[in-house]
Amino acid sequence: MFRKIAATALVVGLALPSVSQAAKVKIGFINTITGAEAPIGENLTNGVTMAIEDLKKKGIEVDLTKEDDTGKPEKSLAAFEKLATRDNVAGVVGPYTSACASAVASQADKYKVPILVPAAAKEDITRKGYKFVFRLNAPADVYSSVLMDAVLTLDKPKTIAYIYESTDFGTSTVNTAKEYAKRLGIQEVADERYQKGAPDFRSTLSKIKSKNPDLVFMVSYVVDAITLMRQSKEIGLAPKAFLGGGAGFTTAQFLAQKEISNLVMSSTQWTDDVNWPGAADFAKRYTAKFKKEPTYHAACAYEAMMIMAETASKNSGDRDKTRNGLKSGKWNGIMGEVKFADYAGFTNQNNHPMLVQQVQGAKYETIYPPKFATKKPVYPFKWK
Amino acid sequence: MDFSVLMQAIVSGILVGGVYALIGIGLTIIFGVMRVINFGHGDIMMVGMYMTYFLFTLFGVDPFVSVLITMPLMFLFGAILQKVFINRILGSLPQNQILLTIGLGLIMSNTAMLAFTSDYKILTTSYSSSSFNIFGISISEPLLISFLITAAITIGLYWFLLKTDTGQAIRATAQDREAAQLMGINVKWMSILSFGIGSAMAGTAGALISPTYYIFPQVGSAFTLKAFVITVLGGMGSIVGATLGGIIIGLVESVAAVTISSDWKDVVVFSIFLLVLLIKPSGLMGKSRM
Repeated sequence: MFRKIAATALVVGLALPSVSQAAKVKIGFINTITGAEAPIGENLTNGVTMAIEDLKKKGIEVDLTKEDDTGKPEKSLAAFEKLATRDNVAGVVGPYTSACASAVASQADKYKVPILVPAAAKEDITRKGYKFVFRLNAPADVYSSVLMDAVLTLDKPKTIAYIYESTDFGTSTVNTAKEYAKRLGIQEVADERYQKGAPDFRSTLSKIKSKNPDLVFMVSYVVDAITLMRQSKEIGLAPKAFLGGGAGFTTAQFLAQKEISNLVMSSTQWTDDVNWPGAADFAKRYTAKFKKEPTYHAACAYEAMMIMAETASKNSGDRDKTRNGLKSGKWNGIMGEVKFADYAGFTNQNNHPMLVQQVQGAKYETIYPPKFATKKPVYPFKWK
Repeated sequence: MDFSVLMQAIVSGILVGGVYALIGIGLTIIFGVMRVINFGHGDIMMVGMYMTYFLFTLFGVDPFVSVLITMPLMFLFGAILQKVFINRILGSLPQNQILLTIGLGLIMSNTAMLAFTSDYKILTTSYSSSSFNIFGISISEPLLISFLITAAITIGLYWFLLKTDTGQAIRATAQDREAAQLMGINVKWMSILSFGIGSAMAGTAGALISPTYYIFPQVGSAFTLKAFVITVLGGMGSIVGATLGGIIIGLVESVAAVTISSDWKDVVVFSIFLLVLLIKPSGLMGKSRM
């Protein structure tokens, strides 16, 4: 009897470390930790931190290597090469910005390292047929189409004006918006690109105002969104709807500017009140831990890390098998159903349904599509 | 082109240009007296912006009122910088001076990043987005107030430089450092004074722009470039030139944005800049020294 117990104990004792050893998996994470986009990058870092904790609870130990690309493509590329050759990671989550992600994506097949892009929007990233590049979030075209679809349920807008920053994210989002608007028969009356961080948009905005558009579509990171809306109010620009393409229009800082953020609609990859499994719980735990509400970037990064680490650990860190695992797998988590499919010219792209949120009473409320909506949209727009 | 749109562009261009001028004046005074190009100018402005931000959030001091506190503090800050660092390299090679001022700027911006993180700080006042209408042209209240304060400071500075003994001594130092010294002017003290004034101007510009812009540690670099263009355009060392340069840049940016496109405004600004330098290499007011 005693020997039996001892033997069992021995077997268990031997088995335990080997189990955790098999589950220890090396993952790289490229993000913008410093630099101009750092405030959004912080959300991604927090999302990944939570994913690592949750993975641990599931018995998956992640050996995470974090790299900061400061928002510059060449640094992102260098970070990726380091992860691929020196750190021998099984897969990479990131980078955050479109410019960085498209630079890294172009090298993924060369190093045969699977990368999972969590939140970059530029369409090209998954349009070039790269075998090792996967994307969780919806690409740029959906940012605008979902917004216009939402407005179409309320009204028949005739004209639209675009104002956007001259970055990869800004131009690719607006280019697809233009195509979609043309198909819907909405006429373009202004097309204004601007240099990120400019202090004065008043003249541009008054030019747009003189065209009296039904819709104003804006794309910008973080604080330009606030400057744009402040000066729109000054100038008295009042279209039927202000549409913000994700990013700067979905941050807590934007929300905090009550005077100017009210009734602005923005497209987003995720909201905390959507009924995807674990979304609400994620928001609650995140807010408790970081004392801030999560943006969609946090949710995207969390889910991307969960998927990458689980797949890599299942395939014991083998890059090719991990790539195949991502390709054939199916998940259902805080980002809803995830599957990396080939469609409409995309490769390994998750056909993610985007949501439209509107600021109502100093809160982001989901207003579209109807099956995820929590509040009715307020239309047309009015200054407070 | 709609006439009211053009008028709107001209009005907001001049108002924004006023604040640009203030940044340029600071840089030009420093250059005039010491022949040192201060590449940390934008970062000094950033220090002023953070000062304004914390005065507002911690003590509730209105950004425009806080100029009264920011200005003397920034003067002191600049004077110390000059006494401790800049003074040592006054006679050395220009590239060494540039390296020192760039280095000081880097230390300032990275210290700010360590202390306050890279988060954007947004100063929200009750009037951050308020405006009033005259003949269909909307005028931003905070911008108008900052323009008026800028004008008052500039006039005050003229008076100081033209009428007071100290002001004349500063101008004498700017004209000929050695001759001034022979006339019994304490040029070292004048250098400290002018770097202090220059920094106070930059800090004040930072305070004035805070209610409508945002604050982060790297905010300075964009304004350093702008200040440099303004100063060179107006003529290095000329205060009238810097005032003119600032308003021209603000105006051109704004008008180019409506007549051509906001994407092309920098191209227009730099084309005009090059054109002026081709025709008058010393800048608009290059020859005349205040």
